[in-house]
Amino acid sequence: MEDLLTITQLNKSYNGHPALTNINLSIKPGEIHGLVGANGSGKTTLMNILFGNPVIQATGGYSGEICFEGRRTAIKNCAEAIRLGIGMVHQEFALIPDMTVGENIRLGREHTQAWTDRLFGCQYSFVDRQKDYTAAQQTLNRLWINLDVKLKIADLTTNLRQFVEIAREIDRTDLKLLILDEPTAVLNKRDGLKLTEILKEMSKRQIGILFISHRLEEIQQICDRVSVLRDGRLVSQYKKGSISINNLARDMIGHEVNKAAAAKRAIAKQPVISFKNFSVRMPGEEINSLDLDVHQGEILGLTSLSGHGKLAVGYGMMAMYPVDGDVYYQNSRIARMDARANIKKGLYVLPDDRQGLGIMADQSLEDNVIFTANQVKNKFVRKSALAWLGFIDRVKSQKHVTAMVQDLDIKCTSVRQAVKELSGGNQQKVCIARALTVDPQLLFVAEPTRGIDISAKEKILQMLIEINRSRNTTIVIASSELDELKRVCDRIAVMVEGKVFKILPPDSSEVEFGLALSGEEGADNEQL
Amino acid sequence: MNSYKLRPPQVIISLFLIILVALSYTLQMNLVTLFNESMVKMVMNGVLVLSLIPMLNVGAGMNFGLPVGIVGGLLGMCLAINFRMTGFYGFFMSLMFSLVFCALLGWLYGLILNRVKGREEIAGTFIGYSFIPLMNYVWTLVPFTNREMLYPIGGRGLRPRISLENYFNHILDDVAVLKMGGVEIPLGLLAFFALVSLFLYLYFRTKIGRATVAVGENESFARLSGVNISRTRLTAVIISTIIAGLGICVYAQSYGFVQLYDEPLSMAFPAIAAILIGGSTGKKTFIFEAVLGVYLLQSIYLLTVPIANAILIPELTEILRTMITYGVILYALLVRERQGRSIDY
Repeated sequence: MEDLLTITQLNKSYNGHPALTNINLSIKPGEIHGLVGANGSGKTTLMNILFGNPVIQATGGYSGEICFEGRRTAIKNCAEAIRLGIGMVHQEFALIPDMTVGENIRLGREHTQAWTDRLFGCQYSFVDRQKDYTAAQQTLNRLWINLDVKLKIADLTTNLRQFVEIAREIDRTDLKLLILDEPTAVLNKRDGLKLTEILKEMSKRQIGILFISHRLEEIQQICDRVSVLRDGRLVSQYKKGSISINNLARDMIGHEVNKAAAAKRAIAKQPVISFKNFSVRMPGEEINSLDLDVHQGEILGLTSLSGHGKLAVGYGMMAMYPVDGDVYYQNSRIARMDARANIKKGLYVLPDDRQGLGIMADQSLEDNVIFTANQVKNKFVRKSALAWLGFIDRVKSQKHVTAMVQDLDIKCTSVRQAVKELSGGNQQKVCIARALTVDPQLLFVAEPTRGIDISAKEKILQMLIEINRSRNTTIVIASSELDELKRVCDRIAVMVEGKVFKILPPDSSEVEFGLALSGEEGADNEQL
Repeated sequence: MNSYKLRPPQVIISLFLIILVALSYTLQMNLVTLFNESMVKMVMNGVLVLSLIPMLNVGAGMNFGLPVGIVGGLLGMCLAINFRMTGFYGFFMSLMFSLVFCALLGWLYGLILNRVKGREEIAGTFIGYSFIPLMNYVWTLVPFTNREMLYPIGGRGLRPRISLENYFNHILDDVAVLKMGGVEIPLGLLAFFALVSLFLYLYFRTKIGRATVAVGENESFARLSGVNISRTRLTAVIISTIIAGLGICVYAQSYGFVQLYDEPLSMAFPAIAAILIGGSTGKKTFIFEAVLGVYLLQSIYLLTVPIANAILIPELTEILRTMITYGVILYALLVRERQGRSIDY
């Protein structure tokens, strides 16, 4: 059978950083083709290219050849992709919340009142809502979904929204290739099964399906072929029958040579902070009744797929989002979340969003580093009768910051340089310097190496290890970089759907992590 | 660290000012007198302009609700006049009364602004517009007894313009005036201006002042560092309102009248235009920018009157004033829009 889609020698880079390298991929009509890979492996880039996302053109396009139905095509924008018969179900829903289910499903393909077509032209004719709703209802029925098409999207649960999004694509009669970006990530197991049934039914109608998922079990069940991406390369491909979850997990994570690493040691199981039934309502990263003990003096890794709550723990402690449940810090309950009080008690959060939360871009390095310690702990205040006004002792602060710049090797012209002029890695060091100035007992770190070049990454990880060893600071690192966590942490907690799914020792195999991340119980059920 | 950049408004206004000076020279006006007046004009309006800075720096934008603070100041002065406090004592007590009224009004104003975060400018505008009619009732109904401030006929309700002739007219203008030839430098007035500037300078170096700037620059950052956002914003709004109150007292003693009723409404725009001409873009603003802006704008106002009269188009003055004032505000909005877009693509 002729291929529906053929990709040959596809290359794409963002500002010189390769995102995809020499990808060769083909999809046959009626084939369900699985695509798996860890975060940052290039899945999203590949989909963006196929669906003509403007981001691709804006960052210099791609090189290589894409053939659709035997003809070489260059998909420049989404409209063109739709015209070719490519549909996409997005991970973040591309639905209009204030419109009804029916309107969303039929958007852009509305039935119109025939007589107004002639009167005003097709662009301005009246929409035949009744006919639209009937058609939408039929599509939903085909998916065995019982849903009133007159409901607004805003009133639906995430599960249902996912199905509406799928219904919108299925409703198209010209659909030839459907791309699904982690459609089951937000679904529970039962709805996930329902979806796989739908996909199987579609493949019978000769629609090619590119199915991206982190749930390896599903991939194993329904895919005819699976391709594994890692660091922008296609590392392996399996056919139905020879797909094994363990192999996929191993290929996804890969074998990386260990670099700077912390020595293994035994940590006394004395909790410094305990979360009981702890929930944080951080949009997109919710935590639901988390139970977790962090031991005194350890480095605990927190990892999960994006959206499963690893980032929310620290922000919850700083009252950035509404929280619920109990937290016991050093054996006393924290009754009310209050950033100032918690920083005073010795907690500190190093944020993941450096530009948004970590720095005051226009202010000097010095002012950034001393800010929190000065505000909360009254450090660097000039001793005088006017001490209550809190004027800064510049001699003291400059001495401290200069020492920090040397210790952390921050590249800057002077301590008065504006932080926005520094590189990403150096900005992160400024954030760490600010944390060290506060001198916390318990440090929450979120994605410490995101957006930082490789050499700076190692330095920052080394820094975290040193802080832990020399100051006996307990550190909780939330990161999606499993390889880094394994080198630095004493224990790694894998979170799924806002809960701790499993706590693994850092020397566990990649397969175990791969399974845990996907929420699958391994062959051996030993809990640690 | 913070090098000052010349932006189009300053260049245009400075050029305009140079042309005006050249024109007045050719028209054989007395440049020395004009220069003397420009000093007075600067301080007269300058304190009101300085009052915008705390709110700009805390990220609450330009204080279009300036009438709130002005009303506080007017209340203070009316109280002093009612008790027939004259001279320095009267002026000082006006300032004190204003301080009390403005602190209270600023607190209420700040509470409202904390609820409309991100839309403070438009909210401020409407707070001003709804507050003034309310105050119009107050002015007519307050039981003041000093005949000099009541309507001559009927003896009830405050008159729209209360003369300060017998109270503290030019009280600051005439203190310690340094005369060098024809040049008169009102040292007392300038000292008061410097004092307010110094207060602001020191305020932004205190702990709460630094928190203020941090909230203005990056609110999430400040919150993550344990800064109480609402309280910091409230403090900044109160300080802005208090300085606005003091500002109108300085303005009134120079002008010679206390202007009530709808008059406060027309005071916000020139003040905002001045600080924008100085180089502020609606975010972190330096005291120098306020001083420069108010001097440039007020000098232009000052020069246009005699020049327009001399070349026989008297209406031109008002037209030019309005054009400059509103044009500069529009320009600032445009610049900010462009900056905003460049940040979030």
